[in-house]
Amino acid sequence: MPRLTIDGREIEAKAGQTVMEAAREHGIFIPYFCWHPQLSVPGNCRICVVGVDDKGGEWVDIACNMPVSEGMVVHTNSEKVRARRKATMQFITLNHPVDCGICDKAGECTLQDYHYEYNGERSVSVDAKVHATKHHDLSERIVLDNERCIQCTRCVRFTREVSKSNGLGMISRADHSLVRAAEDGSFGRDPYSDNVIDICPVGALLSRSFLHKARVWYLKPTASVCPGCSRGCTVNLWHRRPEWRLKAPGMRTANESIDRVTPLENPAVNGPWICNKGRDLAALLGRARAEVAMLKGRPAELQGAIARARALVASARRPVAVVSSWASNEELAAFKASLGARFATFVKADCQPEPGEVVEDALLIRADKNPNTAGARALFGDAPLAIPPDADLVLVWGEGLDFGLIPPGAAIIHLNAWLAPENGHADVFFPVSIQTERDGHYTNFAGVTSAFAKCFPKAAGVADAAALFPALAGAGGGE
Amino acid sequence: MTGRKLIMNFEVTPTSHTLAEYKARGGYATLGKALKMAPADITKEVTASGLLGHGGAAFPVGRKWGVMKPNPGEIHYLCANADEGEPGTFKDRWILENAPHLLVESMLITSYALGVRHAFVYIRGEFDLPYRRIQGAIDEAYAAGLLGKPVPGTDFALDIVVYRGAGSYVCGEASGLITSIEGRKPYPRNRPPRLTVRGLFQKPTVINNVESLANITGIIRMGAEEFRKVGTAKSPGTQLVSISGHIAKPGVYEVEYGYPWVKFLDEDCGGMLHGAKLKCVVPGGISTKVLTRAEIEPLTLCHESVNPAGSGLGSGGMIAIAEGTCMVRFLQVLLRFYHHESCGQCTPCREGMGWMHKIIDRIVAGKGVPEDIERLYAISEANDGTTICGMGDAAGYATVGILNKYRDEFEYWIANGRSKLDGRLECRA
Amino acid sequence: MKHLIPDFEKMKERFPAGFESSLVLPCLHRIQADRGFVADEDIDGLVAYLGVPRVQVEEVLSYYTMLRREGIGRTHLQVCRNIACSMRGAEGVIEHACKRLGVKPGETTADGQFTLSTVECLGSCGTAPVMMVNDAYHENMTLAELDRLIEELRQP
Repeated sequence: MPRLTIDGREIEAKAGQTVMEAAREHGIFIPYFCWHPQLSVPGNCRICVVGVDDKGGEWVDIACNMPVSEGMVVHTNSEKVRARRKATMQFITLNHPVDCGICDKAGECTLQDYHYEYNGERSVSVDAKVHATKHHDLSERIVLDNERCIQCTRCVRFTREVSKSNGLGMISRADHSLVRAAEDGSFGRDPYSDNVIDICPVGALLSRSFLHKARVWYLKPTASVCPGCSRGCTVNLWHRRPEWRLKAPGMRTANESIDRVTPLENPAVNGPWICNKGRDLAALLGRARAEVAMLKGRPAELQGAIARARALVASARRPVAVVSSWASNEELAAFKASLGARFATFVKADCQPEPGEVVEDALLIRADKNPNTAGARALFGDAPLAIPPDADLVLVWGEGLDFGLIPPGAAIIHLNAWLAPENGHADVFFPVSIQTERDGHYTNFAGVTSAFAKCFPKAAGVADAAALFPALAGAGGGE
Repeated sequence: MTGRKLIMNFEVTPTSHTLAEYKARGGYATLGKALKMAPADITKEVTASGLLGHGGAAFPVGRKWGVMKPNPGEIHYLCANADEGEPGTFKDRWILENAPHLLVESMLITSYALGVRHAFVYIRGEFDLPYRRIQGAIDEAYAAGLLGKPVPGTDFALDIVVYRGAGSYVCGEASGLITSIEGRKPYPRNRPPRLTVRGLFQKPTVINNVESLANITGIIRMGAEEFRKVGTAKSPGTQLVSISGHIAKPGVYEVEYGYPWVKFLDEDCGGMLHGAKLKCVVPGGISTKVLTRAEIEPLTLCHESVNPAGSGLGSGGMIAIAEGTCMVRFLQVLLRFYHHESCGQCTPCREGMGWMHKIIDRIVAGKGVPEDIERLYAISEANDGTTICGMGDAAGYATVGILNKYRDEFEYWIANGRSKLDGRLECRA
Repeated sequence: MKHLIPDFEKMKERFPAGFESSLVLPCLHRIQADRGFVADEDIDGLVAYLGVPRVQVEEVLSYYTMLRREGIGRTHLQVCRNIACSMRGAEGVIEHACKRLGVKPGETTADGQFTLSTVECLGSCGTAPVMMVNDAYHENMTLAELDRLIEELRQP
């Protein structure tokens, strides 16, 4: 275990570590553009220089490729290091357009931050900048601004080393090198392509769906869990900050929409990545909602529907429940506590793979397209779904059940968040909230439980399943 | 005469490069001697010879080899660097065209010493005749049973692939060369690790310049002690100097280390073209700093004499520059080249080369500003030791070397919008 | 490209096993020698043959100056313009060639006969200026020799 000194602090590093890794592990910050903890070390940006004391004085080299050694004395902020960083920042901004005013990355841009931290001077160049493609369609999802690109190659390495699509390359040479997508379209098919937007340290790679949609400082992230498959990747859902709400009439959708989704780094589940399906949660969760309770297809007051359902529960002799694998652990526990003893309960898959969707791969994507199958099975077992023919009440929670499986004579209580034809076939229908309208937890396929938090209020007629079940069990039902 | 000869020691004829004539000169006899030695003893002999690399950096060949331990079963590679691309340098071409079997024999001996089963000759793509000559020699060696299967009486076998580049200066840098052989863009690699630890396809690899390798046969034949009698104590042996520019008799000369520089130019190379006066000389490829006539007057051609003068013998690519040559235009050509050849991988070189090229073009266009000179210095300094390979440094050395000595020509052009010297690069009669 | 596979197989023999990726450059040289340039379908064929990512081949093609993805004139004149050649009259040779052919460097004559290029150091500084005519070096180039060559190479 080599012991070394960084900025006067003695630390114990692990053998084989680089100075960059050892410093980070001990909370000492060294700036970097091209380095990334999950990618190979190209050492091309040269901003991570540190000074090392030597007999001949201080020598300066990049920390990301510098092995630690016993007794090493490292400086991250010496005069030499500062001068070198400043010169490097001059190079990096030499051909960068500095068009932050129209750049989506502004506000969360590493180049901006480092400019203030390590340079702070305008360009000393009097020559014209190199012009390159300002708007290049890298794929249907991603737009590239080659002028902003600082050629750190993080995106290229991501497709080589993580997603393994080999979708991107760096063509040509010198200061006219360009990031380009492989001509075989492999980048367009890469289900993880959007991660390159996050790891781009500048505003070169932009999401088409987020392009010029909002300044990032108007948004705030809420921690959530992607319900797209049983991996349960933790994500940040970005939506408008309350203090920056748009006040014009008819702006509710703009104020209460998910503007973008980014990974919430989580070593236990997804590392720093998510797949493109997770990026599209706004569409997945933005489907048309059921917002009114119904009795045999006719709109009803929520209280009236509860009373009717409670009566059905109370009178049933053979009640069966088919619970949702999109329900949170809290909701599932509420069902079990209130109605679990009365109902024979099965867990169902609410969602199946869509045509064209990647079903399963070696990185993150799982074949089970439901976030909480494991949480539901932990409470209700994994018996295959088989509704007995003599069932006289079936409670269907969530989508995905073929109503043809329900015995003809049985009454139906149905809970669903989305508009669907089946909703009207139930004796009692309850519109229920989705994960962005409440707090909760999902347990992923490997047994790791992650939390999601409420982003928006639910609509007035929508019920929370966790509150609904005790109400259905009341007055003669349940226990 | 430029001293004793170790490589250019035979008469070049239309057939002197063939296997038959090489053998008639005693060729491949040293291989037999080497194969009777222990591999480690060959490395010892090369280390004892004090042979310095001829690619430009003059790194001791034995020390590079010493890192490789020829453990049986472990894969090692050898690459001969024949990507001769440093402007002013064309001496390896002489070996490839005229003594290809000397290189093949040397590579056999080296591979035996280092436990190499597969070796490569990386040759620049533009070299057509040199390619055909080395490929021809290798084909002859295969046919003669020297390559491809165990050399008779031993279990040592070697395959040599001639790998052709396709137009790129950085392939001459050892790690760029290796990345090129791996079939990718020739991005140079950061050190550590050294290539002798993790090189071609992550296996320990020795990359030696063609001329460095060509010396191995001689060293093993005559022994380190005899070899050291040639040249000087600190620069043993000879150097192939390729001289061009405004010189009466350009070409490749084998010069024994320690030979007087001015004598070489004035007598052996026939003096300057059209009887002009020498303004300055690029000692060893454009990346070494120019030295004036007065500076080289007391110097001899060996590392210990040239290095203290603030330059180096580099790749042996000498360019003689006559009085009247415009050094602003001279630097413009060099900076255009460095910009053209920057691979674009690391920031200081990618951005710096283009920037310097723009500045010098603007000066030549009559739109220079006084700060340009300081800016060229600053960009050079910001490339010194900061890049992945040595190219950024090299461009800076060339620039600083010229600015230090001919600053007045730059100031004149910036102030007056025209050259102090007609903007000429040619030397007129 | 498929008809070149026997050639590729022959090249492969002297390489160590597992060096498929290394064959990218030699195969591209061979394809270009055959067709005059590397066509999209050649890339597809090579990618299938070697099992390397297509983007790798695209990067290589875009990087090296000697490789091209489009055809050029029947005769490729490449004049070195680096320092040793410029010191011996290369700039005059280039200017003269432009005038004689009516093209700028990088262009092809209207009849498709000549493509003129300027290149960096060809390692022929001692016999400067140097010009390549297709693969062959023509050294100690003079304006008269250039005129003679162009006449000789011009086909009716």
